[in-house]
Amino acid sequence: MHEVSFERLDVDGAIAESAERAGVISRGAFLAGALGGSVAVLGLAGERAVAQGPGPNDVAILNYALILEYLQAAFYTEAQRMKALRGRAADAANVVGAVERAHVAAFRDLLGSKAISRPSFDFQGTTEDQNAFLKTAVAFEDLAVAAYKGQATRIKASSALAAALAIHSVEARHAAWMRYLFGVEPASHAFDQPRSKQQITRVVNSTNFITSSPSTEGSRTPRYTG
Amino acid sequence: MAPPGELVVPERNQRSDFLRRTMFVGGAALAGAAVAGAPRLTDAAQLSQPDLRALNLLLLVEYTEQAFYAEALRRKKLTGEALEYAQAVAEQEKEHLNLIKGVLGGRAAAKPQFDFGDKTASREAFAAAAGDLEDLAVAAYNGQGTNVTTDILAAAAKIVSVEARHAAWIRSIVDQPPAPEATDTPQSAGEVLAGLRQTGMRR
Amino acid sequence: MSESAPRLAGLAASPDSALEVPGPVRLAREPHLSMWSVVERPATARSSPGGGRRIARLRTRTPEGTDNIVLVRRRARDASGGVWVEAVLPVLPNGTTGWIPRDALGGYRRVRTHLIVNLRLLTATLERGGRRVFRAPVGVGMQQWPTPRGRFYIRSKLVRYRSTFYGPLAFGTSARSAVLTDWPDGGFVGVHGTGRPDLIPGRISHGCIRMRNTDIVRLGRLMPVGTPVTIL
Repeated sequence: MHEVSFERLDVDGAIAESAERAGVISRGAFLAGALGGSVAVLGLAGERAVAQGPGPNDVAILNYALILEYLQAAFYTEAQRMKALRGRAADAANVVGAVERAHVAAFRDLLGSKAISRPSFDFQGTTEDQNAFLKTAVAFEDLAVAAYKGQATRIKASSALAAALAIHSVEARHAAWMRYLFGVEPASHAFDQPRSKQQITRVVNSTNFITSSPSTEGSRTPRYTG
Repeated sequence: MAPPGELVVPERNQRSDFLRRTMFVGGAALAGAAVAGAPRLTDAAQLSQPDLRALNLLLLVEYTEQAFYAEALRRKKLTGEALEYAQAVAEQEKEHLNLIKGVLGGRAAAKPQFDFGDKTASREAFAAAAGDLEDLAVAAYNGQGTNVTTDILAAAAKIVSVEARHAAWIRSIVDQPPAPEATDTPQSAGEVLAGLRQTGMRR
Repeated sequence: MSESAPRLAGLAASPDSALEVPGPVRLAREPHLSMWSVVERPATARSSPGGGRRIARLRTRTPEGTDNIVLVRRRARDASGGVWVEAVLPVLPNGTTGWIPRDALGGYRRVRTHLIVNLRLLTATLERGGRRVFRAPVGVGMQQWPTPRGRFYIRSKLVRYRSTFYGPLAFGTSARSAVLTDWPDGGFVGVHGTGRPDLIPGRISHGCIRMRNTDIVRLGRLMPVGTPVTIL
């Protein structure tokens, strides 16, 4: 019932890792071109759009980031629509939701036809209650920070790395903000830890937030009253 | 209602517990003991030239932050949440500073002089200056991230997100937008040095 | 807990209150918006959140073999804080609603379309965002097998079957014939094509809403499953 979009990414990652070892992919591979139109969205200066896209290793990593951004964007968007939040939590959902949506747009723009498509989500009530929302938001944002951090040293192209770092610190701001609203210390340690894609995937899958699309179309002969 | 699956949500503590815990961790760092979560790094002999330049720039950032918070605490103008913030963050910045100094060893730049003027004279001034300084730290780390080798990048990544947390934290305390932008733009070494001087670094 | 109250140093954030149980809240808050969810686990719909009498047992699959879905209207909490959702149910009497536990349902899906069937004028009109995007003449139930009036939704879509009678495409609705209660698969009212376009418009069917095949194909491109249906 619950499809695991991450598994497709793992396959790409394995392929890319072997290509990397073979020395096929280098930093130059998509330098200057990679960010393309997303430069404006990402606010990074000095890069120009070029026809070629990111190499396979970076495509896998960017799609992994895109899934996390889809997840966060959908979560905040639904929370805004449910209107179950009040005061500063409602403001935070509005601001952070807009930023996560911008991240989605930037990654989709960057990946072009290689962008993974938006999954279906079921947030199981966590967008419909302020306390559940804040807990989930804190957990998500801390997770996003750890996820980006876990990939930083694996990204090949400088421009993709710069983009990832520029987003990684914003996710950390979100994490601190949500923690503050929830009532826990925004920065509990001097050093934040990375998490591998396997670790992040396991946690995300355990939530069952990502679901398969409803199957509402069939091809049996109708038996309506006619 | 618990969040689903294995999502980790930190426990809400009494603030006094939180302070005690952070102070303890800070104390251990000053005593030179290994701190949980601190990155392990190669020693200075194996650093590339870009690594050395980057680390010395980030060293100046951490010197500035450490000096700023130390002065803020000495002047005793802070109370409540702003004080809790300054105490917690001062400890964390000390750990950052010690780490970078440790990696650089004999290649570390000298500690500058500082003159923060009125920036720690009141809660409002402190909060504004702290927010700006933490923003500058984020921009500095992000700017150097593409210059350094893998091990240094891994360590820097563990620090920059904490600086970003600091920035959002102090802004939340004074009701300023904690995260108004979609990205944290990197700054060049020149821009960072200018920012540090504007804050109060005197070389 | 007031989010705008100043935070005092030394105090933990106050836990939010589970003591107050506010009234039901509408889920779809924008104009022309409806929402639906998949029934992910078998569930018993009740007359009030967390209590009241049992109204119906919901399954996860429809007789057509598709995911069972319900139109969702409002959300409420029970006394112990559990979330319940009020849904339009595909049961008799037509128009029945009931409360289902939130965790029996999947994610919320949104539609901005609305199908309006006028039994007097013999037309079917599809609106999107309040604007008409489709209209066609229809055949509806004969006097002894009337098409039921009320508020329903499109529950399923069937394609690529072979049938002259139903035409190339058929939508299942949540509406049931009040008369043909022994009909196989429960006597659901469908919206489908026909092998007798010459009879349209007219009062000709056993309750279904029939339209010419070119019209049903066009509707098939415009109307997603989950669309609310008003029959008046």
